[in-house]
Order: sequence, then C-alpha cells, then structure tokens
Amino acid sequence: MSNEYTRDQIEEFLYHEAELIDDWRLPEWSELYTDDAEYDVTSLDSDDPINSSSKNSLFLLADDKERLSSRAKRLMKKTAHAEFPHSKVRHIISNVRLGTEAGGEIKVKANFVVYRTKEDKTSQYMGQMHYVLIPHESGGFRIRRKRCILDLNSLADQGRLTIIL
Amino acid sequence: MSSVITPPRKLVDIDSANHRFRINRDAYRSAEIFQKEKQMIFSKCWLYVGHASEIPNKGDYVARTVGGGDLIFMRGRSGEAGAFFNSCTHRGTRVCREKRGNTKTFSCPYHGWVYNTEGKLVSMNAKNFAENINADGALNLRKVPRLEEYRGFFFVNYNPAAISLVDFLAGSTEFLDSMCDQTAAELVVLPGEHSYSINANFKYLCENSYDGYHLLPVHVSYLEFLDDRLKAAGDQGAVNFIANLFTKQGRGRGLGNGHAALESWVPTGRPVASWIPPWGPEVKKEIDAKRAWLAEQFGKERADFISDVQKNLVIFPNLVINDNVGMIIRTIEPTSPNTMRVNSWALGPTDESDALRAIRLDNFVSFLGPSGFGSADDIEMLELCQRGIEHSPVEWNELSKGMNGAEDSRVEICGPDDEGHMRAYWAQWDAMMRGAETLEAR
Repeated sequence: MSNEYTRDQIEEFLYHEAELIDDWRLPEWSELYTDDAEYDVTSLDSDDPINSSSKNSLFLLADDKERLSSRAKRLMKKTAHAEFPHSKVRHIISNVRLGTEAGGEIKVKANFVVYRTKEDKTSQYMGQMHYVLIPHESGGFRIRRKRCILDLNSLADQGRLTIIL
Repeated sequence: MSSVITPPRKLVDIDSANHRFRINRDAYRSAEIFQKEKQMIFSKCWLYVGHASEIPNKGDYVARTVGGGDLIFMRGRSGEAGAFFNSCTHRGTRVCREKRGNTKTFSCPYHGWVYNTEGKLVSMNAKNFAENINADGALNLRKVPRLEEYRGFFFVNYNPAAISLVDFLAGSTEFLDSMCDQTAAELVVLPGEHSYSINANFKYLCENSYDGYHLLPVHVSYLEFLDDRLKAAGDQGAVNFIANLFTKQGRGRGLGNGHAALESWVPTGRPVASWIPPWGPEVKKEIDAKRAWLAEQFGKERADFISDVQKNLVIFPNLVINDNVGMIIRTIEPTSPNTMRVNSWALGPTDESDALRAIRLDNFVSFLGPSGFGSADDIEMLELCQRGIEHSPVEWNELSKGMNGAEDSRVEICGPDDEGHMRAYWAQWDAMMRGAETLEAR
C-alpha cells in the first residue's frame, strides 16, 4: 500500500514548524497542534524512551495542548527570565522517514540538531523526533503528537532546556 | 624569627544587635574556600546517596557521585545495602561503568580483578600473587566509612567518627516523617531523573530552594499560568491568593545542624491531599479519602499539616527534599567554586491510582526541572548572581530580612518570605568552616 503523502509534503511541514520556533513565533507554533496533542521530551536516563509514558515516569517535559500553549505564551514574556533576552535558536532537521499511514494518522520520524545561543554560549540538542501528524483542511498537517528523544545522558553541557525542540 | 600568621577572615558576619546577617562573597567564589569546604563540611556531614527503592533486589546497584566520591550504592547478596568507592584496588580503575543495574560481581576491565556485591575481592585473574595477599581485606573494594538509613533515605559519611545519621538530621526528621507518613504502603523513587548543571556556587541553589522572598518576582509567569488554569476551572486563581496570603501564613524554620525548612501555602494542589479543580472530579474522591485516612491516623492538626502545607526542606549541606507540588529529592553536587551538578527524582507512594500518579508527575514537570516553568527561571537567577559577584567590588551578600534577634540562627523561626532559614544554613556553615562544629560524637 502506498502512502498518500510524499516526503516533500511532510518535510515542508516540519520545516515550517521549525521556522516558527526559530523565529520565536511561538503562539503560531502552538496553533499547529491538535486539541488532544502531546509534546514531550523523555527522561535522558530512560531505558525505553519510545514507549515510556509521562504518566508513570518523570519526563523532562510533558505538555498537553493547554500547557504547550501556556509554554508558548509564557516564553514570549519578559518574566520568563530563562529566555530573556530570547536566545537564538536554529533547527536542522534531516533523515525524515515516513512510517505507516493508518486511521487518518501519519507517523513520521526525523533526526534533529537544535542550536541555542544565549549571550556567548552555544548549546546543542540532538536526537530524534517521533511525530504523529493528521492532515488538515488547509492542505497542510496538524501535530497530534511530538516526542523528542535526546541523544544525551544529562544536561551537564546545556544546563537547561527552555526552548522548544 | 616569627612567622606571619594571617588572621582568619570573617566569612559570615552576624550582627544580632543591628539585625544584620551578611555573607562574604568569597564564600561563593573562592577556590581556597571551595577546597576547605570539602575538608570541613563534605568530609564530615551525612550526604544523601540514594533511596532504598532504587535497589530493592539483591545485586541491584546505582553509581553516584556524592561529595566528590564516585560511589557504588548497592544491595549485596546478603540483602544489606553497601556503599563503595568505585575504584579497583589494583590500579584504581573505575569498575562499575553503568549507571544502574543488577549484578553478581564487578569485574575490573583492566586486569580482570573481580569483586562480589559485598565488595570482597574474589578473583585476581592470576596465580602468581602471594597466597594471603588480601588477608587483611585491604584489596577489597573500599567501603565508605559510614552508611546509615532513615526511613528509606540512605546517607553516607566519610568521617568514621561522625554522630549518627538520626542525630545529624535533628529536626528535619519531622519533615521526612510527614512525607513517609503519607502512605501506609511504600514511598518509591519513580523512574526518570533530571540531571543538569548550573553555573553558580552550589550554596546559591540551597538558598533558592526555600526562598519565599523570590516567589513573586521570579515566578510571576508560573503563577499567571497557574492562575489561568485555576480560573478556567472556576477557582479563585493564584496571583491574588499569593499576593494576599503568602506572607501572612507559614514560616521559615531552622531545624538544627544547618537544616531548615520553608512552610508555605501556594495553591498548586498537592497529590497528598489537597485537591484543586483543574485535576477534575476523578481523583477528588481518592484525595479526600487520603485526607480522611491521615486524620484518622494522626489527628486533624497533623493531617492538615501533611496535606496543606508546602514544605521546602534543605538538609545541610546539599540535599533538597521538597514536599510541595509533589515529592522531590534533589541533590546538589559542587563541581567547582562556580559550578554545580543537580540531580533530581520524583517520589510517589505505591498505593495511589494511575490517575493520581499521572497528576503527581505532571505537577512536578510543570514547575520543576530544567524545562519547568519555575526552576528554569531560578537557574537563570543563580547564574546572574554568580556573574555579578565574580566582578563586583561589593564584598557582602545580605541575608538580613526578618532578623529578629534569635540567639542561635540555626533554630531561628521567621516569616515565610524572610531569610531566617538561610541564616540557619549559613550559621552552621560558618561553625563548621571555623572548626567549631565537627558533627563528631563527643
């Protein structure tokens, strides 16, 4: 069975999301998510990050739609001190692979490197993103699930994860 | 010939008559003081190593850095917990290279020496050593001099002559008890951890961990988030609550030996046993039942204390136990005068529903950790402080707020947004750095 969507279409969407984050258009970014969406970053010491659940183990970050919208809103405030002044953020996304399309959902995984520069310090966050996308009437997609699995054992170098991956 | 002796510098300046309490900024930035802290404090205090639930089975181990020591904390085949230096007695090789696991032995990767889970050397992988070379046991994995437990919390001490753990913990046991007593079942460390670094002296995080004064300025964006959530669920909100009540209820308390706690009221909800509307009706029954059980067990007053009061505890010198948005263990490992490594874990009782467990963890990550709406901004503050004191000619940090003439700062009681609990910490720090307090049995 062939997929209805091409890698080009999916990549275009992922690049669009990345651009919104890099440009600090975070309220627009949060609009890309469905009302039942989950955006999470697994614990760096998880034995099985793909299948782990934030409902029974401690994640770095586990947002539902309400909290990811709040995260976007908060990060735009001057009182979100950790991101004031805003750091420079750049997403590099590659190795995009389309998984199965079933029940109106498209599974996608991609590798990423995200650079964050705050003052003179640049940190790197690298890993794999696991998406569940659904087609949207606009011709694009919406994100039902985005799980980021970092290839890190700790945030000893980065110190914090305050930007959106 | 007379030698020149430098008079000891005053690092903590306590002026009770004038209600001033100041810390010389060298205490946060000097390499010499950092070395001295290792010797006078970290070699003498009980330091948290791990929780019983992390090594439930024989052969379970975790590898952990504690007060500069690279340790293996494990449950031996005998069932006893042990703590060993992670270093082969042959040439020094690190023998345990995984963070956690279960094993019958540790084999040194260099020459193949093998140790059992009691640390005993059971093979040297060669025949031509003297037969009784380990008769005195000196070639066994070196044990940390002391390992003791309080209700599942294990601590090590590098000083064989130290007072007992329970004596060291002094008044802080009240706070550990009020966590352990939340369930008739077990408290366990939940899977997952936060491990990150901060570019600031470790004591800045100790101070921050129970600082009520910073709540509004630093965390207003978290409180606005909480406010939106509470109001959406038909509640009164958080910002007004804090503005009106935070400074009027609760207190800071010195608990002896440098330990201190902040008791406060913040409407974050508490999985034991203070429900908030955004959590929904599903778990309300369970939380109400838990509260009723607590009242039955301990009387209403203690049940209310356990259920309602947000408790931020710092066990001197570097352990934070928070019983607030959830239950949190946070260790703060100094790595240089101006850097620290932080590790934290969530605790939960084994007898709660899946729904409440999920809420507990959700509450944790909403505020705490390197991606939380709260901790991340705290980290920024500490790094701004460190940066400031590295260049500024100002000599002292002020911790004078609410100073009320207590005779011994270590047991001072103050308002929730005062700095008395920090004075309790620093008075102990000062006594230990001067050698006036060694925490040894007399």
